[in-house]
Amino acid sequence: MNNGRTLWDSLKLPRPRRSGARPHLVYLAIGFPPAAKSCAYRMRETANQFAAAGWDVTAVTIADEAWEREHGLDHTLSQGVDPSVRVVKLPLFRDDLETDIRSFTEQRALAHKDYLAELRKQDLKVFPEPVFGGWRPALEKALLQIHRERHVDLLVTTCAPYVNLAATWKLWETHRVPYVVDFRDGWSVDVINNGEAFFRESVSGQWETKLLTAAVAIWNVNEPISRWYRERYPELAHKMRVVRNGYDAASIPAQVRPAPPDRPLTFGYLGALTLPVPLLDAVLQGWRTARAEDPALADARFEVRGHIGTGWARGANAHAELLRAAAVDGVLVGGSVPKAEVVDLYSRWDAVVLMVTGGRYMTSGKVYEYMATGLPVVSAHEADHDASTVLSTYPLWTGAVGLDPAELTSAFRRAAAMARAADAAEREKARAEARQYAREEQLIPAVREVTELVLGAGGPTAPQSSPAGARVLAREGRS
Amino acid sequence: MTAVLIVATAAPKQPGVLVEALERFRSKDATVTVACFFDSEELGIDPTLAEIRTFAVPAEKWDARFRKALERAPANRKIWLHARRSTWLRQQYRRADLLVALDARAVHTVWQMAQRNTRAGACYGLVPAQKALAGNRSEPVGKRLERRVAAAAGIGARGARSAAEQTIRTTLNKATGQRVMSNPAGAWLWTRAAAAPRIPDRLRSKLAVRLHDSAVRAGRTAAGARAASTAAQRISSLATRADVLTKAAKTELTLGHQPSGLHDAIRAQLALADDLLPRDTKKAAAAVSMAWSLSSNRVLHFDRLTSPMSTDPGAFVAPFRASTAARKLSQPRGRLTPAAPAPTDRPLRLLVTTLINDNFLPEILERYRAMPNVEVRFLDLYEDELTRPLALSGSTVMEHLLAGDSSYGAKVEEWLRPHLDWADTIFVDWCQATAALFTLPDPGSTRIIVRLHSFEAFNFWPHLVDFSRVDDVVFVSDHLRDLSTAVLPQLTDGPRLRVIDNAMDLQRYLRSKPADARFNLGMVGFSSVAKDPRWTIEVLRKLRERDERYRLTLIGSNFNDRASKPAKDYGRLLNQDLAELEPLGAVRRYGQTDDVPAALQEVGVIVSSSVRESFHCGLVEGAASGAVPVVRDWPFFAGKPHGARTLFPADWVVESPAEAADRIFAATATEEQWREIGQAAAEHALKTWDWSVTQSGFDRLLLDD
Repeated sequence: MNNGRTLWDSLKLPRPRRSGARPHLVYLAIGFPPAAKSCAYRMRETANQFAAAGWDVTAVTIADEAWEREHGLDHTLSQGVDPSVRVVKLPLFRDDLETDIRSFTEQRALAHKDYLAELRKQDLKVFPEPVFGGWRPALEKALLQIHRERHVDLLVTTCAPYVNLAATWKLWETHRVPYVVDFRDGWSVDVINNGEAFFRESVSGQWETKLLTAAVAIWNVNEPISRWYRERYPELAHKMRVVRNGYDAASIPAQVRPAPPDRPLTFGYLGALTLPVPLLDAVLQGWRTARAEDPALADARFEVRGHIGTGWARGANAHAELLRAAAVDGVLVGGSVPKAEVVDLYSRWDAVVLMVTGGRYMTSGKVYEYMATGLPVVSAHEADHDASTVLSTYPLWTGAVGLDPAELTSAFRRAAAMARAADAAEREKARAEARQYAREEQLIPAVREVTELVLGAGGPTAPQSSPAGARVLAREGRS
Repeated sequence: MTAVLIVATAAPKQPGVLVEALERFRSKDATVTVACFFDSEELGIDPTLAEIRTFAVPAEKWDARFRKALERAPANRKIWLHARRSTWLRQQYRRADLLVALDARAVHTVWQMAQRNTRAGACYGLVPAQKALAGNRSEPVGKRLERRVAAAAGIGARGARSAAEQTIRTTLNKATGQRVMSNPAGAWLWTRAAAAPRIPDRLRSKLAVRLHDSAVRAGRTAAGARAASTAAQRISSLATRADVLTKAAKTELTLGHQPSGLHDAIRAQLALADDLLPRDTKKAAAAVSMAWSLSSNRVLHFDRLTSPMSTDPGAFVAPFRASTAARKLSQPRGRLTPAAPAPTDRPLRLLVTTLINDNFLPEILERYRAMPNVEVRFLDLYEDELTRPLALSGSTVMEHLLAGDSSYGAKVEEWLRPHLDWADTIFVDWCQATAALFTLPDPGSTRIIVRLHSFEAFNFWPHLVDFSRVDDVVFVSDHLRDLSTAVLPQLTDGPRLRVIDNAMDLQRYLRSKPADARFNLGMVGFSSVAKDPRWTIEVLRKLRERDERYRLTLIGSNFNDRASKPAKDYGRLLNQDLAELEPLGAVRRYGQTDDVPAALQEVGVIVSSSVRESFHCGLVEGAASGAVPVVRDWPFFAGKPHGARTLFPADWVVESPAEAADRIFAATATEEQWREIGQAAAEHALKTWDWSVTQSGFDRLLLDD
């Protein structure tokens, strides 16, 4: 098990930037750029907004090599990070994703699955989260070291992984550092199966209760998840806030025009292909039929961009096989796209396909970006889904038709018609609808609120006078 | 040009992905070989993309050494053993620049190849392989050399270690094998060694189990038991001690013996359960469950001609009475309200319930369904697939009873509560899971009646029934009541105990018999050891010594010799008898039939040769058909206050095959006499056990109380 302990001693932290009297915020964000993960966009914007609000931000993530094992790296993402943000990369790796057989022990080589099962078992002993639980000691040690080096005024922790909560608690327990939990998709709510992931009495439940009770603020990505938490912890409802994922304006083309009649249409999907296989299968069936039935789609293409699989199964799973077989239907698989090139992608697409798992508790970050493009959106998800709520006012939406291939066929046909017919005014109206979801629009008020709570109404301009605010919150957390 | 070797142990589920990867390798000028541990034809890949071959050694080419190596090897190492025997594959992996495992089972083989080709990269998965190919693998010479030396040393060390381990294992196996343990000096020496001080529990327990196993298999059961028990006394861990003694007992049970250390093993498990009870009810339940599993093993009670339970029931279950955990299972929890009297303003709601076996219920159901003043429902707990698992796990019931509360208990309550709420009276047939489950929740004011037939008395289920929630327990005979109360003392202080005969429609058996039936003995049911058909064959042999007209008809399914070793041994002897007697026409197997009255028409003498019966319907049906009944004094109950002698008329019951033969000679001396005695037996059967007579007992039970 690689929990970082052996590598820890060799870690050299970047020198902290001294920026006068600015308060110090540690942002525990595993998945921070350059990790090529969808959560990296939110993390980048969060760090940037806190920096803009007057904080000295130290973002804590894991080594670049660790992401190589998963979905890879996107260095263009790092370009958008505020230069004042200090990034600490811990030498933590997912041992389960190791593919270099030379690094395996004979026992691991002999019984690989047993080894992984044992690894998960050991992880769970350390913290109730498989795969990541074993990182707890290293994360705790890292935060304590950072705090020793320079006093931390606020810790913002974003999950997943949930093991971050253990390190967060450690800093609170030992130094009473106030913290915000950016819970994104939550923990005790099962956003895929629409239910409870674990009981309050379980080990995970006890961790969650403990952590949320002492938190300064709790953020979630949508209203249904926030409601779940308000109902589960009514006494903490005043700390809950919805901070939607939103979209990055830099990824959106300045203008989108109707598809010229002489050019075949291009539909697009952008995102990691971690969807259930039947969902992808239903979409491809719907696409095949629509393309066969509708002359408007006769030569149309469906471009699928994003990572497929992780570790040894990267690029080699059932999704890849389905997509490969759909090549005859004009389905193109292009791999992942650097963040900086996303804007070009949307510029040449005529409609977008929103494939997303889960139900009423799931929104996905992609929906906001899709809306902001002003392109017609084909929804491929459960009808009872939070993306439907967000899209309900979007004029170029084909509606939530569920996952029946025949219904999806109709949705593709409607989107094709919209792609040709929607004029500039309609598209502008659609884009205007999305503007409320610009990422900074979502984050600025939340960051301001937390800053005021922790540092007092004077904000970071008078940080020295504000530790009292932190102490007040610390007391509130304890109660 | 780069050489890539891909090892696959099964045809990939995504063949398209493999094809695409092969195309990419080719575009990078790599030559690819795919080595398959399955028929390479299954891949169906264009041969221009890669050289594809199977490397599994066909079974017909396995020599003894290879076969033995395969037997010993863990699953994934077997693949490597095949790989290293292939000359072609050896060449491939030695010249490869990149070794790739396509699936998890191939990882070890690639790992071994990488130890022998230290120059090559080794990765798991196609995309990592493509990445490795694209990357620059120019390593410093020093590092490569270091890796080569380390790998060579590793191979040598592993080989030496493996050879050393094998030698030690072989030597130890031989030194502790049957030959040594069958020698008194060897057994004495090892018994002393296993009890020597300062041996860690882990090693002592392994040695003890091995010594016991060898001694028992060598026929020296006492020496084996001595070795196990002496070593076990030295083991400090309760769990390890229980494990050693249980393994020893199980070995003897597998061999068909009554283990000499059975009670030691049971006591050790119960001591472990008592120790665990305050802190881990789940583990405590597992230990009690193991104790019960040992004590109710079928070898002890069902597949031999005697049972320690019937010899001295009190002594047999004494360890359970001494255990806190075991006592807690039967602890009375009582009920909040007593059973309500039968309603007078509406029909009685009667729920008849069982688990799978409803053989003894048709007459009862038919009678009360026809009554306007009774509303009947029937519930087989096995019927609903969703709830069925709740009724099949004794250890879960034990876990619940020890914990006092569990989600399992809540589910059972949720399942059975509507039935309890609906019914005024619940008649539970068979005192097993159904009875335990219906007394798990408080039955409220519903009256609970449980009927115990026979096998349950030898089983653990009645010990999980809360008899303080049962109003009546029905037995089918006095001797079963006696046995049950000896095993379950709680019965004597709670429910009303009743003996009511089985419900049998005997009228349909009355048919005229041909004259030659006089010499035909019959048995209804001979599929188990308990029926002891060889006893009847012995009777037949005695008859045929004097008159070869006597023959035997065996009605029912064939003897089941698959239940255990003793059953197999018995079956072998029975088959020898049949092989001798069937060709002579002395024995005939009638087979299974739905029309037993027709089969019994040609039977002139009906025999019950069983060692244990609660009632023996087949015998009574034979008697009702007019056959002369001959009943062995069932040994399990012989000499006790109740048994075959108190259940049947004295002249029906015999002590031995010789006495049986005498009775048959006397009864069948003439046709008139045979018919007269048969007629009397039929009249007695009908007068005593026909449903028209016995139903009054049920009416009193269900309607009057």
